[in-house]
Amino acid sequence: MKKRFIRLTVNGDMRELAVTPNQSLVEVIRDQFGLTGTKRGCTSGSCGVCTVNSDTGEAVLSCLTLAVEWDGRSITTIEGVEQQGHLDPLQQAFWELGAVQCGFCTPGLIMSARALLHGNPRADAEAINEALAGAICRCTGHIKVKEAVASAVARLSQLAVMQVDTDASKD
Amino acid sequence: MHLPAFEFVKPDSVGQTIALLAEHGERAALLGGGTDLLIAMRQRLVRPDVVIGTGALPELKRFEVGADGGLVIGAGCRLTWLAEHPVLRSRFPSLAAAIRSVGSRHVRNAATLGGNLNLPTRCWYTNQSETWRLARPPCFKTNGDVCFVIRSARQCFALNSVDSAPALMTLNACVTIQGSGGTRVVPLTDFYRDDGLSPTVLTPAELVTEVHVPVHRARAAFIKVAQRAGLDYGLGTIAAAITGSNRCISSARLVVGSVASRPVVLQQSARILEEGGLSAETIEAAAEAARADLGEITNLYSAPGYKRRLVRALVRRVLNAVRQQQPPTGDT
Repeated sequence: MKKRFIRLTVNGDMRELAVTPNQSLVEVIRDQFGLTGTKRGCTSGSCGVCTVNSDTGEAVLSCLTLAVEWDGRSITTIEGVEQQGHLDPLQQAFWELGAVQCGFCTPGLIMSARALLHGNPRADAEAINEALAGAICRCTGHIKVKEAVASAVARLSQLAVMQVDTDASKD
Repeated sequence: MHLPAFEFVKPDSVGQTIALLAEHGERAALLGGGTDLLIAMRQRLVRPDVVIGTGALPELKRFEVGADGGLVIGAGCRLTWLAEHPVLRSRFPSLAAAIRSVGSRHVRNAATLGGNLNLPTRCWYTNQSETWRLARPPCFKTNGDVCFVIRSARQCFALNSVDSAPALMTLNACVTIQGSGGTRVVPLTDFYRDDGLSPTVLTPAELVTEVHVPVHRARAAFIKVAQRAGLDYGLGTIAAAITGSNRCISSARLVVGSVASRPVVLQQSARILEEGGLSAETIEAAAEAARADLGEITNLYSAPGYKRRLVRALVRRVLNAVRQQQPPTGDT
């Protein structure tokens, strides 16, 4: 197979890579960028452990995405979620509420939830269920996972109110 | 599992796509969102030498609401976008519900309407890895001459599981097909064939480019029964579109999916409603009549007889759902 060069940006790091057409995004993320937080699970789009976020904030199944189709685009993986060395509110909620057991599916769950909150910051229980339907966890039974996402929704809306107050107090 | 080797080409237009299909014939496969083809390739069910990337073709992204309220939907429109579109949600809710039932949100973010309509039929004996399949002789779908589901069968009975088809068929949708022989428009009710191996009327150098959904005045509903509320194909799906009031129905359309090699139009059930209106009695009669319309059922993923009982229940449920809805203003 002919290799071709593509430009891909992962967590702000832009690289030019040689890929074959049959390389999926998850392989490139793990094997060429060395970012192993994104996992290979079912490799058929049914488990969600390979989930990354596109440049428009959507949940993308990186196992079902050909790297050659993402030439010139950018993605965020779990390694890119932290905020200056600190956990972001979603990660913090997973941590505080005990939504992590073995941790294998955690990157996929967080990237799925992150995509949800990006498009729907006031997501309710139904929206959380729908967004997480494609991300499976074998350990937690999903209960604390959903609570963590709901908690992050609440925390983010609090932060938004504080931001408005801060802006207002500058007037 | 690793994808096999292939050459990837990305045409700029539908015309180029057709030329590539004509050039490569059976060696080529069309890639839309990748949520079906790439899985089949990993399973070594299909091994195209050439994969034609159509996911970004602008001609396939068309979406228009006509002055009369009818829709034109490009085959490349992504399912999440369609499911959340305000026009579909408000004016074609059964279609929005059907699209929303596909896979998971992750899948719908990538998957296309054209890809969903052209989903290959599936079977428990073939939708498995190559290693799994090697434990048995090949069947009709894998170039063998036997069916493991129906031992006496002389054809493939794999299931059509297109979630969007039943709703579109009840709404009298048509598809535009473009190919090396020209362009044609086919009603979706004529698009599917009762053949697990060749489930649509598409010829090799053709592709579906658009779906047309005419304006309607029906009360419509869609139900999907599956083991889980996401990710799974249906054990059975049903769509209904009923025009008129409960006392006087001018047209009834009922289509069942995921029970045979093609979506099944329930003609007798529909006739009962058109002749007798929508009441508890006619709903019961329509549910019973569904058995006659079903014909040969493929008992995959369920015990024998289950799917027939399921269809009876689906008819009841979907018609009761429609009966509760208010008719569009203007009907008595």
